[in-house]
Parts: sequence; structure tokens; C-alpha cells
Amino acid sequence: MAVIALKDVKKSFGSVNVIGNVNLSIGDGEFVIFVGPSGSGKSTLLRLIAGLEDATGGEIVIDGTDVTHMGPAERALSMVFQSYALYPTKTVRQNMSFGLEVARLPRAEIDRRVNAAAQVLKLDQLMDRKPRALSGGQRQRVAIGRAIVREPVAFLFDEPLSNLDAALRVEMRIEIAKLHQRLKATMIYVTHDQVEAMTLADKIVVLDHGDIQQVGTPMELYEHPANLFVAQFIGSPKMNVVEAAPADGGIAITGGGTLAHANPSRALVKVGARPEDISLVPAGEGQLQGTVDVVERLGSDTYAYVAVDNVGVVIVRIVGNAAAIAVGQTAGLSLDADRVHLFDASGKTIR
Amino acid sequence: MTVVGKTGLSPRFRRNRLLLTVVLAIYFVYTFMPIWYVITASTKTNPDLFTSFGLWFASDFHLWQNLSDLFTIQNGIFRNWLWNTFYYAVISAVGSALFATLAGYAFAKYDFVGKKFVFALVLGAVMIPQTALVIPIFLLLSKVGLLNTPWAVILPQLVFPPGVFLMRAYVDEAISSELIEAGRMDGAGEFHIFSSLAFRLLMPGFTTVLILAFVASWNNYFLPLVVLNSTEHFPVTVGLAQWYASAVSGSGGQLLFTVVMAGALVSILPVIIAFLIMQRFWQGGLGAGGVKA
Repeated sequence: MAVIALKDVKKSFGSVNVIGNVNLSIGDGEFVIFVGPSGSGKSTLLRLIAGLEDATGGEIVIDGTDVTHMGPAERALSMVFQSYALYPTKTVRQNMSFGLEVARLPRAEIDRRVNAAAQVLKLDQLMDRKPRALSGGQRQRVAIGRAIVREPVAFLFDEPLSNLDAALRVEMRIEIAKLHQRLKATMIYVTHDQVEAMTLADKIVVLDHGDIQQVGTPMELYEHPANLFVAQFIGSPKMNVVEAAPADGGIAITGGGTLAHANPSRALVKVGARPEDISLVPAGEGQLQGTVDVVERLGSDTYAYVAVDNVGVVIVRIVGNAAAIAVGQTAGLSLDADRVHLFDASGKTIR
Repeated sequence: MTVVGKTGLSPRFRRNRLLLTVVLAIYFVYTFMPIWYVITASTKTNPDLFTSFGLWFASDFHLWQNLSDLFTIQNGIFRNWLWNTFYYAVISAVGSALFATLAGYAFAKYDFVGKKFVFALVLGAVMIPQTALVIPIFLLLSKVGLLNTPWAVILPQLVFPPGVFLMRAYVDEAISSELIEAGRMDGAGEFHIFSSLAFRLLMPGFTTVLILAFVASWNNYFLPLVVLNSTEHFPVTVGLAQWYASAVSGSGGQLLFTVVMAGALVSILPVIIAFLIMQRFWQGGLGAGGVKA
């Protein structure tokens, strides 16, 4: 179990800076998720912690030991790869025991650990199969089993579910959550899927262009995003953002009316409102006027895409099936003044 | 296979297929003719060889006598030559395939200073005919005193640039970097990863290089001709050529033409057998399932 600290960690490939200057502390037993769009440096950061890449600068400390210049095995971490990276010529049992054999553990201990992991992951019946005779979900479980048996100080997951189909992905996500509850181990998990991040993480690290945008619990990020990037990255459908300016007693929305607000900052240039913080009102009321373009009914929720002149498309989430809403109807949009997010010119949240 | 249409019955398809068959038939005759000649000629007596039709058997079937002569002339030195060819070829092939695999793996999976330059050298070496290198090799070997030893034939043949080129491409295709990284996370050293995780996956490529190098060494004539001068070190190629030369010049007590033919026939059999044995290693799908493509 581990406390992992990154101090001023930098990584560049030639002249390309991939990781700017990352400072991060990961607590014992925490489930931390690195999330960001492709090219944000999240996988590189994970590989730096794993020791598969050498940091260009800075320090990586695990449980008080500086591991910056240690090889991957010396760091006593386990990694689950996106492609699973199983050993194709070895059976499931051999795949799981390989690392322990390399470490020259006694045979009895190897068997004990492998059998225990097999039981947890329901692989008992598959131990003598080769990877090519397994389904995607089973391969994924073998990869996790291979990570478990090493009893690492922390687990690293590199987009482990991205190769699975949607149903299996949900199933494995729950299995990984259970695994974390059972093992209480430190886990670092990379994904570009914000739903995975929201559902699994104790702590989410949002990355963009190699810099940490914000660190916090899923709800902190959702309720109080530090900037426009985090605001739009976390949450689905994403937050609506419209141009605005401070006005007397409120916020003047460009292309619309004024939203009553106690203390709009002078620096304000944009207002963000999540789909559930906007309500559809009769035409003429609310701050914005538009035409319903598309209606998506999911049963429990309905998403209305409202086209507003000079503003763009605003997404509204309505609980229930919203039978009354029809495509082509005009409607007003009313923003919840207590729940809007205000941003300055640099994209920072105004608190 | 999905049938997308009745292409098999279209006149155009038939015409193309016929053309293809004709071209292949011509190619077959072209390549098989010399072998056929060797087969018929090795069954003849010396007078028949020059008087009967070249591409058919003579009335007197003399193969067994020719074979027995082949293995008894000069105290059965042909057996020596056959053995020499065999062990030069096996050592050269195994050695060069191993080196090629190691080098190809390094080129495909490691970053090191001068990688591009060194690989360009390997590519360059593919272009240079071996014949052009024989004189420098001769001088080198004479400096280190290895001339007229088996090493003079084996050492130069351990370097097989086309094999390196082939294996680099094969490693790229067959071994994912994540597989190597998984091995590193498991604590295995680089050589351990190569030998116990990667090598099995490289078997089809390895055997391909092995057979290519084996045949190249088996058929090599010029290198042993230049670097060897004792008859007992000769491979079959050089030995038979020497017999043939003596037959042409009429020296020696016995006319050796048909014996040379029988020797040629015997010398191609092991290569055919080697091909048949190695064939089963050319199977794809060894790496299936390890890495999600």
C-alpha cells in the first residue's frame, strides 16, 4: 500500500513537452483517475509512475523512497495494459505466475497466490487455456489477475476497459470497483471516459496538454470546476457555455436577457449552466429564446437541443419523458441563477 | 470464404486463369529442366551420357553403380564433402538466424544512438553481393590464420544481412511493445523477456531466416573455393566442381561425369528434406490472443 508523490515531474520527447510540471500526491488506498482528452499526457504520466518512461525532470516518491531512477520492477507496482498484453504462448496460470517465478518465490507460495486470484476473478475453470481461447472480458480478468498476484504497492490501469463492448465495460467497471473495496489498494487509473472517472474515482485528476487542470473528488469537479476546460470535460451531456457580461443587478447574456445575480464580477465573460440547471419555459419568458431542434428521450430523462440565434445550441435536461415537448416549437430558457458557473477571460472560474 | 459473384464462370476470369496456368507451366519447365537433366544423367553410363537423348533415360540403368562409385572414389571423400556441407550449413544457418533475430529485435524494439545509421549499413550490406566481399574476407582470414579451416567458411556466413532486415520487419509485426513492457513490470530482464516471451512468437520468422541461410550456405561455392585448399575440408559444391574439372581436362584414371551428376542429385536431397521439415513452422497466429489488436 502506498503513498505516491510526484514533485515537479516533467517529461519531454525531444523538443515536445508532454508533461509540463506536475505536482501530485496520492494517498494510501486511494482510487485516483487520470482523465483527459487524447494527447493530454495522462498515459505518459502513468508510464512515468510505472517506470516505463524516464522523467526528464522532477522526483517520483513511493512510500518515502525516491524511485525516479529505478526500473519498473523495483517499484513493486503492477500494471494492467490497454491491450491486456498477455503472454500469448503461456496458459492463464503461467501468465499469472510468470512474475512470481521471475522473483523466485517458492512454488507453494506461487500456487497459493495464483489460485486465490483465480478464485476472486472466477478464472478457476480457465487456468490451462491460452489467451487466444479466451473472450475479451476473460482476457481482461487474466490481466488483472496477473497484477493482483504480485501483491503490488499500487495498481496502475491504462485504459483497461476501452477494448470491451459497452455492456462488458459496465460489468468490468463494477468488478474493478469491488476489487478496490476488497483489496483497499492504491489504484491509479487512466481513462478518457468521464463516466468511468466519475463512477470509480475517489479523486480525479483532470489533465490537458500535460498540465493538471484540477484535482478533486468527482462531486467537487462537477459542482465546482476550476475552469472552463474541467467544466466542459466533466459531465454528460456537457455544460452549456454562453457569452455574457456583468450588468446592473445581474449578468447580461449576449443574445439574450439578464439573469438576476447578486454580485457579478467585473471580469466575467462567460456563463456556464449544466443541462439540468436550465429549464424550458413558455416562449417569451426566461433569458434566452430558441427553437427545439432535436429531442432525445431516454425514458428517465429527456434531452432537448434548443437552437438559439446568435448563441448556438443549448442542451436542456428534463426529468421524465417530457411528452409535451415537440421538435420545432419555440421555447424560452431559464437559467438557475444559483447554479450557474462564471468564467473570466482566461477561462478560470470566478468564485 | 464469401462468394461475391459467379466470377469463376465469367469468360474473362477463365481467360486470365488459363494465361496464368500457361505462364506458371513455362516457369515450371524452365526451373525443373536442369533438375530433370541431373536425374536422367545420373542414371547413365559415361558413353550413354554423350550418345543418348539428354532428357530421357538410356537403356542401361546405371544409377546404383554411379552412386556406389560416388561414395567409393578417392576413399569415399564424397562422404566427407557431404558432411562438411551439412555442418557448415547447419552451424551457419542456426548462428546467422540467431544473430539476425537478436539484431532485428534490437532494431525493432530499442532506441539507441546511431540506430538509423547502423540499420542503413545493414541495408547497404544487403545490396553488396557476397562475391565482392570474398577477397577482403580472404585477406582478413589470412591475417588471423584461419584460412583452410572450417571457420573460414562458417564465420563469414554467420553474418546474414537480409535476415536482419527480415527479422526487424517480423518483430515489428509480431511483438507488441506492451508485451515487452508487461514483462518489465513482471520484473523480467531484457534477455529473459526475449528468450521466454518473445522468441516463441518469432519462430515463423526465425525458421524462414534459418532456411534461407541454410540454403545460401549449402549452395555457397565461391567462398569455400577461395578460403579452402585441402580437399578434406571441401563442401560438395567445390568437391564436385573439382571432379568435373578433372573430367573435362581428361586427367585422372576414370571419367567422372556421371558420378558428378549422381553427386549433384544426392546433394539436393537434404535441402528438399529440410524444406519439408521446416514447413510446419511457417504457421501464423502464434501470437493470437495475447494482445487485443
